[in-house]
Amino acid sequence: MENFRRVRTTDEDDGKPLPFINICPSVVKMRVKEGSKIRNLIGYAMSHMLSEGTGQIVFSAYGRGVTKAVTCVEILKRQIGGLHQVTKVQYKTLQEVWEQKGPNVHQPAPCLTVQKNYPSICILLSKEPLDPHEEGYQPPQSLAPIEIGKRTFLSPVKQCTAKKRKEK
Amino acid sequence: MAEKKANPGRVNHCRRPAPRPPRGPNDIYVNTKTDFRAQLGRCRQLLGAGVHKELNIHGLGLAIGRAINLALQLQVSHPGTLQISTSTSTVELVDDLEPEGGEDMEPGARNRNNSAIHIRVYQP
Repeated sequence: MENFRRVRTTDEDDGKPLPFINICPSVVKMRVKEGSKIRNLIGYAMSHMLSEGTGQIVFSAYGRGVTKAVTCVEILKRQIGGLHQVTKVQYKTLQEVWEQKGPNVHQPAPCLTVQKNYPSICILLSKEPLDPHEEGYQPPQSLAPIEIGKRTFLSPVKQCTAKKRKEK
Repeated sequence: MAEKKANPGRVNHCRRPAPRPPRGPNDIYVNTKTDFRAQLGRCRQLLGAGVHKELNIHGLGLAIGRAINLALQLQVSHPGTLQISTSTSTVELVDDLEPEGGEDMEPGARNRNNSAIHIRVYQP
């Protein structure tokens, strides 16, 4: 292994439609990765969901980013109440090309192609009701009046939601 | 809350084990320490014996990825006969804080949240 180095990775599932039925193809898709900052993700998703006319967002992640995606969704559900959720899990196939390296390797160096299957997750959050018979559907939780999350990620937005609730 | 801000989270703390709701024979709690193949074998045995039509696989925090992998591997080994339905939730965990040095400080507790996944694998 130490005599090889990874040249490139290609995503085989790129361009594949999202695994949800009846979804607008232009929906915003958040690609959560291992190093993504939760505050950045939540900040964008929050302003997107609170703006008029948009009611859906998709979080997708694979490998070690899966935990972060689930955390983002949970925070978002807690901060914006009444969100419908559909969760899908599947394998994501990545193709990696490894090139042999070392002092006595002739050019062009021999390559090795590896297919890797990573567990991945796709979560759709929607303000509008979704089909409850779809696999992995979760109805909105009844909004707990006690604030469970002690860490606040975006105080200005949070104030906005508080105001909105008061208006209701 | 103000006290916690005064000495920001660097106190020695001890994690309490996660709360586990009563489990039936078809509830699988996935952790990161058990051998993956052993977990897979146990699930296969439960499904293959024909006693259980469905399994509930739970994973908390870092074990979420493993839980997904387990469910997908099960689906691969029973092609076309298993369906997967997934849900997510938040679990509240408690840390016991150990005050350092001064005995005047009370041992406190801190709550934090962690994400969990629940996968229902079933034969339709």
